Amino acid sequence: MSKNIIPVGPFHPLLEEAEYFTLKVDGEKVIGIDLDIGWMHRGHEFISETKTFTQSLYLVERICGICSTSHPLACVHAIEDIDNIDIPLRARYIRTLIGELERIHSHLLWIGLAGHFIGYDTLWMWAWKYREPVLQMFEIISGNRNHYGMMRVGGVAKDVDSSSIPKLYSILDDIASKMDMIAKAANDDPVLRSRLVGVGVLSHEDAVRFCAVGPTSRASGIPADVRKDDPSDAYDLVEFNTIVMKNGDVYDKLVVRVLETLESIKIVRQCLDMLKNINGPILNDVKEISPGEGIGRYEAPRGEVFHYIRSDGTNRPVRHKVRAPSYVNIPTFEASCIGIPIADALITLAAVDPCYCCTERSIKVVDSARQPTKIDLLKISREKTEYLRRQINGN
Amino acid sequence: MDNVDNFISLHNSKISKLIKKKKRLYFEVKNDYIREITDYLFNKIGCRLSTATAQETYNGIEVLYHFSHDESGQYFCPRVVITDKKNPEINSITLLVKGAEWIEREMYDLWGIKFIDHPRLELLLTKDNPAGIKQPLRFRRES
Repeated sequence: MSKNIIPVGPFHPLLEEAEYFTLKVDGEKVIGIDLDIGWMHRGHEFISETKTFTQSLYLVERICGICSTSHPLACVHAIEDIDNIDIPLRARYIRTLIGELERIHSHLLWIGLAGHFIGYDTLWMWAWKYREPVLQMFEIISGNRNHYGMMRVGGVAKDVDSSSIPKLYSILDDIASKMDMIAKAANDDPVLRSRLVGVGVLSHEDAVRFCAVGPTSRASGIPADVRKDDPSDAYDLVEFNTIVMKNGDVYDKLVVRVLETLESIKIVRQCLDMLKNINGPILNDVKEISPGEGIGRYEAPRGEVFHYIRSDGTNRPVRHKVRAPSYVNIPTFEASCIGIPIADALITLAAVDPCYCCTERSIKVVDSARQPTKIDLLKISREKTEYLRRQINGN
Repeated sequence: MDNVDNFISLHNSKISKLIKKKKRLYFEVKNDYIREITDYLFNKIGCRLSTATAQETYNGIEVLYHFSHDESGQYFCPRVVITDKKNPEINSITLLVKGAEWIEREMYDLWGIKFIDHPRLELLLTKDNPAGIKQPLRFRRES
């Protein structure tokens, strides 16, 4: 047995974004991990302080391509928290509708990637195919498939056209039936279960120690969900369950996301029901923001996204702090990756659904001394699934 | 007595400049007491450290911690003001809250705040910055 170091990244075929891990391995077992971030830091916090409050919303929308509503939503919550600004009822439902649709498409994206990493390419293609109608719903509501530009201080920018609601119901019904199929497939598949149960466990104690959030913490038995704990928008007006598991392994993280998607569909349906029946303004006129400080947060698909804004009474923030969920979830690799085989490292790293453009917010040059790995982690991961499949199926 | 009133009555002598808002409590605390306050919030009443915000002001450099009590949705935000702008130092809370490790490293990186007893006080985001600018958020403000 020899101790080796496997560098993964910063640019690697299995990584969607620039990140750099150093896995220390003893034979097949991971005995240490070093995380290096900073490859995508873009200075959003500083740039925001040079923008007006409304311009900042467009800026933070571009922190992440997936959470493009979570950041502006947390940002408006922070600004509204300074002056305790109320928003109209209809706007509350529209915000919730957009937020939950984002959760559905984000979780479907992750389910697809997780399937791809373990050799379930059919699951990958299904999940991404059924994500497409969600983006169509966004296009109908906001005119955009991504970066919707819907959030404003005091409400939302665009109303949901009542003539489009039947079409939205129809697409939602289609997504719901397909999600049921994916949930059943994930629950019934013995290979998937044997491949993921007990893999990359994050204990309850470690989740508390690292201050993990979102599905990462809920899979470890922490029932924290901003939508229930500190409800904003219409979350105190709709019914839904917080999905909590207890083992903290990759399988539980999968289950949490699949079931959360079903809950999100329930919430979207309730929002559409209300939008069909209620009318009224969608935006309260906010003339100025008083001097003060405010905290805004929102349960993004990956967990709590946090914005802190301080105002001096002008039309720009003097300080704008952004903390994305992956920033606190990525360090949990130090707990969940130690002791696992290399074949499980990839899916364990992917299980927190890391988002690096969110985590970092300067441009860095690549150190030429760092060489990309020659070990194909994706191949090893898929081979393990295939091995288990043959054992279970007896061929 | 709820968590907030209980906290205030227990730590009345150590905290000042309270700002009480709906589900938000901001207060100032001296550097000597930040670990004691953290221990109470994190270990005794089960708060989670959301993050910490650094800011340079006229009076000094502020570090504002954001502890979330998830059961009640309440935020406790202790603020430590470091008056020595040339050599800003503050006690690290990483030994109490593992989740604070990156948060403190980022403040060391971007603001130059030294966290005493931090287990690994290294640059987090600008390690290979080609421009070689140190503490970028302070540098820009001074220029």
